[in-house]
Amino acid sequence: MATEALSARDAARPRRRLFRRQRHREAAFVWCLLLPALAIFLLYRLIPLGWNFLLSFQFWEPTKPAEFAGLYHYEEMFVYDDVFWQALGNTFVYMAMAPISIVAALVLALLVDSRIRGRGVYRTIIFLSYPLMAVAVGVIWRWLYDGKVGLFNYILRSAGLIDAPIAFLETFATAMPAVIVAAIWQIVGFFMIILLTGLQSIPQHLYEAASIDGASRFRQFWRITLPLLRPSLFLCFVIGIIASFTSFDLIYVMTNGGPGHATELLITYIYKVAFTLTQFDYAGALTVVMFLLFLGVALLGNLLAGGEAGKVDITE
Amino acid sequence: MHRYPRWPIHAALILVSVAMLLPFYWVLKTSLTGENIFAYPPSLLPQGIQPFFYVDAWYAIPFARFFLNSVLVAAMVIVANLIFNAAAGYALTKQFRGKTAILFVLLSCMMIPFQATIIPAYLITAELGLLNSYLGLALPAFSHIICIFIFKANFDAIPPSLIQAARIDGVPEWKILLRVMLPLAKPAIATNVILSFIWSWNDFLWPLIIIRDVQMQTMPLGLSTFLAYFEDTTGALYAFCVMVLVPGLLIFLLAQNQFIQGLTSGARKG
Repeated sequence: MATEALSARDAARPRRRLFRRQRHREAAFVWCLLLPALAIFLLYRLIPLGWNFLLSFQFWEPTKPAEFAGLYHYEEMFVYDDVFWQALGNTFVYMAMAPISIVAALVLALLVDSRIRGRGVYRTIIFLSYPLMAVAVGVIWRWLYDGKVGLFNYILRSAGLIDAPIAFLETFATAMPAVIVAAIWQIVGFFMIILLTGLQSIPQHLYEAASIDGASRFRQFWRITLPLLRPSLFLCFVIGIIASFTSFDLIYVMTNGGPGHATELLITYIYKVAFTLTQFDYAGALTVVMFLLFLGVALLGNLLAGGEAGKVDITE
Repeated sequence: MHRYPRWPIHAALILVSVAMLLPFYWVLKTSLTGENIFAYPPSLLPQGIQPFFYVDAWYAIPFARFFLNSVLVAAMVIVANLIFNAAAGYALTKQFRGKTAILFVLLSCMMIPFQATIIPAYLITAELGLLNSYLGLALPAFSHIICIFIFKANFDAIPPSLIQAARIDGVPEWKILLRVMLPLAKPAIATNVILSFIWSWNDFLWPLIIIRDVQMQTMPLGLSTFLAYFEDTTGALYAFCVMVLVPGLLIFLLAQNQFIQGLTSGARKG
């Protein structure tokens, strides 16, 4: 492929020299094509990132001139802001959603991968929750968890497991697990599909050779399936990590960070500081920390996966 | 392969399916009955189906307006994505000076989650005078990097001989893109439409930040505002919730395979 393109270019070289003006025109054409997309990324990715960074070192309020603040906001955050530490801890707890849903998704993928009738239907049903609006999902789960007449309370009470109804989302101990369950419900189908794609790309003859050698089913799974599934598993892991930094909608609707700050994630805290308290400068500093953490965790995940996690066909 | 009985697999999958569908059933049941939703014990089956809550919701909120807003924004986003991404994707199939730098910039931008830019993004949008407007809602989503690369991969797979032939025939470059490349990039187009649709349709944080006017709210924002005003004291909330979910569900069921494929290739959303 690459050599083909090269030889095509070589063949075109003498002509290109003759038409240097044409080459300039072609370059201009290429940049024109790139420009609209680049403008969007400049306006809504690069400039905001830089501005945000600057903002975190300033005292600034809308309509007031900025003043240099040094590390003031960072000191405030790391030394005095308990809510920040709580939100940070919660973000890591919320990440537990990733391994749990990956294990569940792996089991489901293995089940759906077996040649049984109606597996397409199962696949659809399990995937169904993923592309839905997280806000609506939050409303649904709020209702399921309802502290008086919610379905879960009804089931638990009917089964005699609890005497009094539990207000899942208003109780400190249960709020976070409750939210995590909802998050798993939404994402597990997606992970299942990713793992299923991974499973189906494992060459069948490996299993045949292994069973001829007398390897048990369990051993085959351990020695063939899992190692060859590693890229897909890590892709899921990275997606799960990203989700724990970005899943604002579900938390906002279900608990809005409460009770107290028991389900506060960094992103919900940033939103509150910026758009409820209008402390844009301090929220900027929080965002810088969240972004660096996100980068660190994502790169670590990528490193562990041997640099292959979520590799898409982007490089040449 | 046939040594194992199938029924345990079916049993497990049916159990999981029930667990996955139960939330949908429960909210649908609540929305359809018009019962006192705080009666205990709740009835497991819908009793006396009637559209009371739907009528209630229809009069309490400008649902048609919300729907229209969502559709308009999604349409703008989809069209912009097709144009911007196809153009950029095509440019990246060519060799030109600075290409490595551009690739580097794009790959780095992919690592910046939108959530990490909301504050300056809000300030920029305010500077542009686009708060509370359709363009303001749609503009940040006008191009998705992953979609550019999806176009590029699709274009790369087109045999170069086709392009050479067109060039020798003297077809101008932009016409090659429109008449030769795009018709051959249908999978990339489908993925682009689906991804940009779903990300715009479900987007909540951005509308929440920049929309102040009820008339400009999209469906997710409308739903969350309704929740904020009425808490969960009325069944109309669940009717509204179902109304919000149905369009997305229908589209998903109609183009299921494309959806699954698209979402899998867009997994690394930046």
